[in-house]
Amino acid sequence: MKFKYILYIIIIGFLFSCKPELEDYAVSSGSADFSTYVALGNSLTAGYANGALYRSGQMYSYPSILAEQFKKAGGGEFVQPLLDGEYGILPGKLKLGYATDCLGATSLAPVPDQGNLDPLVPVGYAVNNLGVPGAKSFHLVAPGYGNLAGVPVGTANPYYARFASSQVATVIGDAIAQTPTFYTLWIGSNDVLGYATSGGIGDTITGQNTFAYVLNTILMSMNATGAKGAVANIPDIVSAPFFTTIPPNGYVVTQGQADTLNLFLGGFGFQYQAGPNYFIIEDPTSQLGFRQMVQGELLLLTLPQDSLKCAYWGGFDPVLQQPVPIPRQYVLTTAEVNSINAAVEGYNATISQLASQYGLALVDANTISKELRDGLVYNGETISSTFVTGNGFSLDGIHLTPKGYALIANLFIESINQQFGATLPEVNLVDYPANELP
Amino acid sequence: MFMRKLASLLLLLVFVVYESMAGGYQVRLQGQKQTGIGLIGTPFAFGASSIFYNPGSLSFMKDNYSFSGGISPIFSNAIFRASNSDYTATTDNPTGTPFYFYGAGKVIDEMTIGIGVYTPFGSSVSWDPNWMGRYLIQDISLQTIFIQPTVSYKLNDKVGIGAGLTIATGSVELSRALPSPVNGHFNMEGNTVALGFNAGVYFNPIEPLKIGVDYRSKMTMKIDNGNTAFTEIPQSLVDYFPASGNFSADLPLPANLDAGIAYDFSDKFTLAAEMNLVFWSAYDSLIIDFKENNERLADARSPREYKNSLILRLGGEYRISDKLTARAGVYYDPTPTNEKYFSPETVSLNTIAFTFGLSFMPVEGLSIDLSYLQLEGMEDDRSYEPDNFSGTYKARTFIPGIGVSYNF
Repeated sequence: MKFKYILYIIIIGFLFSCKPELEDYAVSSGSADFSTYVALGNSLTAGYANGALYRSGQMYSYPSILAEQFKKAGGGEFVQPLLDGEYGILPGKLKLGYATDCLGATSLAPVPDQGNLDPLVPVGYAVNNLGVPGAKSFHLVAPGYGNLAGVPVGTANPYYARFASSQVATVIGDAIAQTPTFYTLWIGSNDVLGYATSGGIGDTITGQNTFAYVLNTILMSMNATGAKGAVANIPDIVSAPFFTTIPPNGYVVTQGQADTLNLFLGGFGFQYQAGPNYFIIEDPTSQLGFRQMVQGELLLLTLPQDSLKCAYWGGFDPVLQQPVPIPRQYVLTTAEVNSINAAVEGYNATISQLASQYGLALVDANTISKELRDGLVYNGETISSTFVTGNGFSLDGIHLTPKGYALIANLFIESINQQFGATLPEVNLVDYPANELP
Repeated sequence: MFMRKLASLLLLLVFVVYESMAGGYQVRLQGQKQTGIGLIGTPFAFGASSIFYNPGSLSFMKDNYSFSGGISPIFSNAIFRASNSDYTATTDNPTGTPFYFYGAGKVIDEMTIGIGVYTPFGSSVSWDPNWMGRYLIQDISLQTIFIQPTVSYKLNDKVGIGAGLTIATGSVELSRALPSPVNGHFNMEGNTVALGFNAGVYFNPIEPLKIGVDYRSKMTMKIDNGNTAFTEIPQSLVDYFPASGNFSADLPLPANLDAGIAYDFSDKFTLAAEMNLVFWSAYDSLIIDFKENNERLADARSPREYKNSLILRLGGEYRISDKLTARAGVYYDPTPTNEKYFSPETVSLNTIAFTFGLSFMPVEGLSIDLSYLQLEGMEDDRSYEPDNFSGTYKARTFIPGIGVSYNF
């Protein structure tokens, strides 16, 4: 009988003996005050993805992710100019689907994701996420950039027109009107991206002095409100899959074809061998007006690949007996890549200097964008800049997936914690979706 | 009545699972008397259970026949908190039940033969399927059952030697989630048989002093044709991740060298100490070798790089009366895991444990043995670097045990 009781005591002992416990993570805001947070920036800040700004993408914007973490340290409500639908106000959204190419081969590729667009109607309330897709640095201080009447004629931005407080409002003015206690700024990518995505011929790069003047104006205005903040630098633009997915040496020939090509073009310094070779591109500065690509030059994701496969683009037309150079708008030459990199480097020097001058947390998006080329592993999952399957970039090859935006949010958290002695918890990247394969 | 209940309970628990405690996936619950005294076994001649702890002392059993059996349900839990995060997760491990059964008899006065069935290795860890470490492990279950025919020979009044052949059957089951862009699920299971040995020496130089040394060999669970299953795979990837396939893998069960000493300070009181050197360095990596590889499915090689560990034990026994004996013990079991490769599939932390035991001897030859073991896996920051998975872990385990032995 006796041991039966002891057995009971032991069993009851288990039921009450607690599981192991760890102390709760101690969240604090440090010297920062997150009660009113505003986010300034471009499409990356708005939550743009897959070639469009749409509701579920906005929900995964990095400011929205950050605001959730700020709430654990005294942060208030964070209002976004949410759209109703999943297709945005302009066509162009992409999804993964099966596409059949000119050779009859079917493969997985981004295809148009068509649905009902949202009408362009002002939301009628002030927002905390002031990210405006398409905005360059100077647009944030440009009056009338959100004037609805200016949208059709191209003098205003439809995304800002949705939440601009007036026809003459500026983005920065609307941000200050919220009396923010904390802000984030990530601007400048579009100052060089328009040039980059048009093959260096469709847009100009904002000059360094202009960028420095505008950025200083923005930060000075925000600083005057007493708000603390974090500023992110410009990613390594040419590391994005938009520029790295199509290999410049993807022209594959047999030994016989190589011999023919060398016969026609060898005299002009072109070189061919069996296997992959560099494509031929237009280049007005070269002797023939076209030449072979060299290492380090880039082809853009917009390049119609059927033209490569079936119209001899980048190679040699056997019927007409002549080369078919790839048009300039699909190519970044060495000189153009250098211009882009120099611009980014200059902007980032300005950003670093001003961040330190205004006591801001500096978020190094540039370094991580370079590291993503080889891939980074978090919790057993790899995030890289590999197109579609790399998990970081959405189907437009420029903007991020929710997982990619969550990674950016963690970068912000890391540097905010460091700068302001805060202990904001990071988010779990594994819980954020990436491109979903069918 | 009690015996019958116990027997039916044992039968119920034929399908055993048990859990990770300290020290990798080794579970030393092979005798309730030994468990009660800090899991010290080599310097004792408790009868048939010496088949596991020290075959050398088996021939020193006092009676002609000895039988012993018992079970030890394990209630084990671990908690994890991610680095720089307020995320926490706890395991929901199924209750595991290691068991043992031994029978031994004297052939001649100097020689005893016996057989033991016991479960010295096992692990059953179950995290939430959607937890943060799901790409490392969702759940794992390792089960082994050892059968050990044993011969022990008493060289003279002071020295006994013994050895047994160990035949181990083992099975392993493991589930993982697959990260984006696959977003599927992986499961594998396999089983195998391995051979090894267990040999020991028992030395009783003067009446109150007993010394024992035992070596149990390394065994490798070679799974040759295990089954793999990839499920919830996107249609576009099913060719790379087949719904069914095969794998091979080797899982080492490390060798143990145990040396212990016991001294009877009086008729009633004995103190004992033991050290166990566990050759965990045998566990270098977990390699899942898929029979069919493709460009997206390479063999999974996960470094573990365990290091040998030394467990130190101290225990005492107090014989209150002819019918009642009490025991207690403590030990320290350092983790064999590597700094860089701490996987949540085996939450093996530096562990302090304490034990209690009671034996009732209602009639001559019959002993009912109770034990209680509590392990505290000490809070520590650990990481698995290849997967960049890090956080703080803590573990706690309760193991009540009950057994019976009968000698005549």
